[in-house]
Amino acid sequence: TLVYVNVLNIEIILSELKNNDNVKNNVRKPKNARTKRILKKREPKVEENVKTAIFVRGSTTSQVVNDALSDLCRLRRTNSINFTKKNNIHPFDDDTSLNFYCSKNDASLFVIGSHSKKRPHNLVFGRMFDGQLLDMIEVGIEKAITMSEIKSQKCSVGMKPLFIFNGDLFETSQVHKTFKNMMLDFFRGQNLESINISGLEYVISITATGSIVDSDSTASSTSDGKIFFRVYTIQMTKSGQKAPRIELEEMGPSYDFKLRRTKFAKEEVYKIATKVPKTLKPKKVKNIDVNEIGDKVGHIHVGRQDLGKLQTRKMKGLKRMTEDDQTEDWSRKKRKS
Amino acid sequence: MDVSAQLEAQKSKFKSINVEKQVPLQFDLGLLASFDTNALEENKLKTETDNYLKTYTRDGTQLLINEIFQLPLTSVQDVGVVVELPKIVTAIPREKPLPKPNPPTRWERFAKIKGIKKNKKSKLIYDEEKGEWVPRWGYKGANDDGSNEWLVPVPDNADPFEDQFTKLREAKKVRISKNEARRRRNMDEAETGETQKLENKSKAGAKALKKTELHQQISVAKTSTASLGKFDKPIKGEPSNTKGVKRKFEPNIGDIQKEKEARLNILNKIIDKKGEVLNVRKAIAKNHQEN
Repeated sequence: TLVYVNVLNIEIILSELKNNDNVKNNVRKPKNARTKRILKKREPKVEENVKTAIFVRGSTTSQVVNDALSDLCRLRRTNSINFTKKNNIHPFDDDTSLNFYCSKNDASLFVIGSHSKKRPHNLVFGRMFDGQLLDMIEVGIEKAITMSEIKSQKCSVGMKPLFIFNGDLFETSQVHKTFKNMMLDFFRGQNLESINISGLEYVISITATGSIVDSDSTASSTSDGKIFFRVYTIQMTKSGQKAPRIELEEMGPSYDFKLRRTKFAKEEVYKIATKVPKTLKPKKVKNIDVNEIGDKVGHIHVGRQDLGKLQTRKMKGLKRMTEDDQTEDWSRKKRKS
Repeated sequence: MDVSAQLEAQKSKFKSINVEKQVPLQFDLGLLASFDTNALEENKLKTETDNYLKTYTRDGTQLLINEIFQLPLTSVQDVGVVVELPKIVTAIPREKPLPKPNPPTRWERFAKIKGIKKNKKSKLIYDEEKGEWVPRWGYKGANDDGSNEWLVPVPDNADPFEDQFTKLREAKKVRISKNEARRRRNMDEAETGETQKLENKSKAGAKALKKTELHQQISVAKTSTASLGKFDKPIKGEPSNTKGVKRKFEPNIGDIQKEKEARLNILNKIIDKKGEVLNVRKAIAKNHQEN
């Protein structure tokens, strides 16, 4: 046994020399439990965390852009990181620095604000998938009213907003569809199974006007198209019925956007990104339907029955008998009596 | 008793929650979103933008709230009325790809073959000595390894001068190191991929597979030149690969007689069978088949 133990120890020592556990695949192995928990939180999961957003300023910004960035950051109070310093970043030309910022902060949403003569008061909304840029939309702010300018009661921090998308452009135009998806992604907050009615505090309303010129043009696709971004708080009053009467009061920032450049996601990447795992898909209940009247109907499958071997009431008088049986019967009866 | 009049009176006290829309709204209640495809009044939008947007949004929100209130409501204590949201319909991309399931470890594979199922053990067990529920393992646990024993009886066949306590401690260390080695092995196997190990049950098998793979790769590399590796320097002991013969063409200007002979041979092959060019029987049969 002494020899065996020695050999095993040597094997262990050799295996330890081979693996440098601390650095594997360029990711440092955590040294303590705290960092291990942080790394585990950043791992890909079936049900994901709330997306973190970063708000970056470009090399030159205007007051309008600065205010817009801080207001949007406030709307998304938790899970948003505000970069205070200016960075020389041009997302449409080069996305390496963007990838770096997002991977470092474990963020998958970003807003970059900049201002130049060619593109005044510019905001770029974008998303990441798997550490790479997925898609982004550039908008120009034409008219802006900040949250502090509107004197009204604001909603509580971290509430889930209601969304209203007005205009049929959100169904027909590819750019608008992407914008709609991005806005939903940006402001939706946590994925909840149930929500308290008193938690429905504010509504974000996005309205699109204009006409589609053609979907192929990379320049602004709508001739005089605008997107109105409004945020209101909801006041519920009695209505005598189950649902309350709604009154709105303007609360938050109000913007008039004009769509500029867009970078769409590659189809294959988008497909992978929107894949729903089997565990999260709604379970199909087989066999049970609801018919027109509203009754629940289902099939019960009974196995094949051999009608010859069915157990039924036996009526002796109806039993088919042959002549021999009959005489036998009579003879038995005679014997008995 | 007709209460409809009273109901109407009651209803008129409050403002209506009904909204008329030409095209009904689409909803995604999991996201608390509504999509309105009705046409907007362009002139109103241009002249009195904010007011028009406010009233328009109020209508949309009213419809959305009506829809939300049709979902199952429950009143939870101290919280209020809670509504159960359905699953999200719109496809929103994830931030990270789906995690790949871990390949099964050695034990898991073995258990699957044998049909061994995991028995869920409770975290606490009743410790007779202490008379209370303690954790099965870990801090202040009722560990069974005997390393914390205060009294260890010496077994009959053991050396009386052997230190039993150190023996137990050493045994525990060995168990820990074995466990660690197994964990490492599992991690390595998960990284490199189990399939190799599954195919080759023995180390010799794995070596052999690697060898054949290497040979294949070498031969492919060798013949990936214009001259199919014919003019490469031959390595001692390496079997020469005669695969891949290049097409051979006769020179354009050569022996005329030889060319004539070759051509006549081809012709003779065609008209070989008793001077018949066409096998009539076969032709009829084929025609019959096609029709």
